[in-house]
Amino acid sequence: MTDNQNPISPHLQIYRWHISSLLSITHRIAGVVNLFALILMFFWLLSFSLGKSNYELFLISINSFFGKFILIGFTWSMSFHIFSGIRHLVWDMGYGYEIKSANISGILVILSSLFTTILFWLLGRGLI
Amino acid sequence: MVQFNLPKNSKILKGSYFKDKTGSENIKKINIYRWDPDKKENPKIDTFEVNLSKCGNKVLDILNKIKNEIDPSLTYRRSCAHGVCGSCAMNVDGVNTLSCMKSHKEINGDINIYPLPHLKVVKDLVADLSTLYRQYESIQPWLKTKNEKSMKQEINQSQENRKKLDGFYECIMCACCSTSCPSYWWNGEKYLGPAVLLQAYRWIIDSRDEERKERLKTVADKLKLYGCHTIMNCTNSCPKGLNPAKAIGSIKKMLATS
Repeated sequence: MTDNQNPISPHLQIYRWHISSLLSITHRIAGVVNLFALILMFFWLLSFSLGKSNYELFLISINSFFGKFILIGFTWSMSFHIFSGIRHLVWDMGYGYEIKSANISGILVILSSLFTTILFWLLGRGLI
Repeated sequence: MVQFNLPKNSKILKGSYFKDKTGSENIKKINIYRWDPDKKENPKIDTFEVNLSKCGNKVLDILNKIKNEIDPSLTYRRSCAHGVCGSCAMNVDGVNTLSCMKSHKEINGDINIYPLPHLKVVKDLVADLSTLYRQYESIQPWLKTKNEKSMKQEINQSQENRKKLDGFYECIMCACCSTSCPSYWWNGEKYLGPAVLLQAYRWIIDSRDEERKERLKTVADKLKLYGCHTIMNCTNSCPKGLNPAKAIGSIKKMLATS
């Protein structure tokens, strides 16, 4: 009936985003970002094994505006991935598949990841 | 490799504009995906101005009105118009649904209508579902028995066991869920998709079926079943209010605990 001449109907281009689909793709992206976060941690370890001057260079670059932006981003992606991962574990146990509960758990994941990021940085900077 | 963009021959162009001729105040603009296999052209979006003063409540009523009064060449599947046959499944306002169940009054602004996503288009809003039907056949959607006895006499089912099928037997295979699933878009040949997996689950939990283990074994595959990443577009789109995501989750749980 159809062959390769037939066009493919539009998909990503036209499909409406739901909380659930948006969080699903963000979970994946956060997972990839976390890999880079780990690589940065290895550089941190490497820098102080290479001696004082190297470690200081690392500290300067990380304390720059861009460095802080990256670190806060990594904190968020880590916490998001953990909370979203817990949500997936709850699903695997067979709970939370109704649209309403999935939407609520999704919003909870977003809020708690933001909250954790803020808390983490306030505590780390000794502000609370 | 997954292709996120549409191939060259599927890129959508601007189509014709059909102006309202009734002079009505109550006009709605309807943008519809068109593709004619007889012309060697790319698909396009035609815009129709439709007089809603003399039109039924559902999106299908609009399509019928366009076909009857404006452009008879508009092609789409429809039959029962009461959400039972599943023929008129399409993408309305960004979400897959049955156009006979979807009220156009819920939609603000122009109404965009596309065929079910990521399928080969046959003509206009008609898409090719043969892969899905082949996959449906692969899960053998019929009662299977092993015992001599059950082949000869009626197999009874308690009310309690019958109740377990509620929320699953109502599926009409309209394919709204499967074609809403990004996993099915990228791996449609291998991943069975929500509609077929919901059907598989419906037979797995049927107390009268005697091949539950074999059924579970056929489904337990890295891509066939675990292509599901709980994106939940399926449950969000089901026009019958069923929950394919939950059915798939239940199969995964059965496999993990057996």
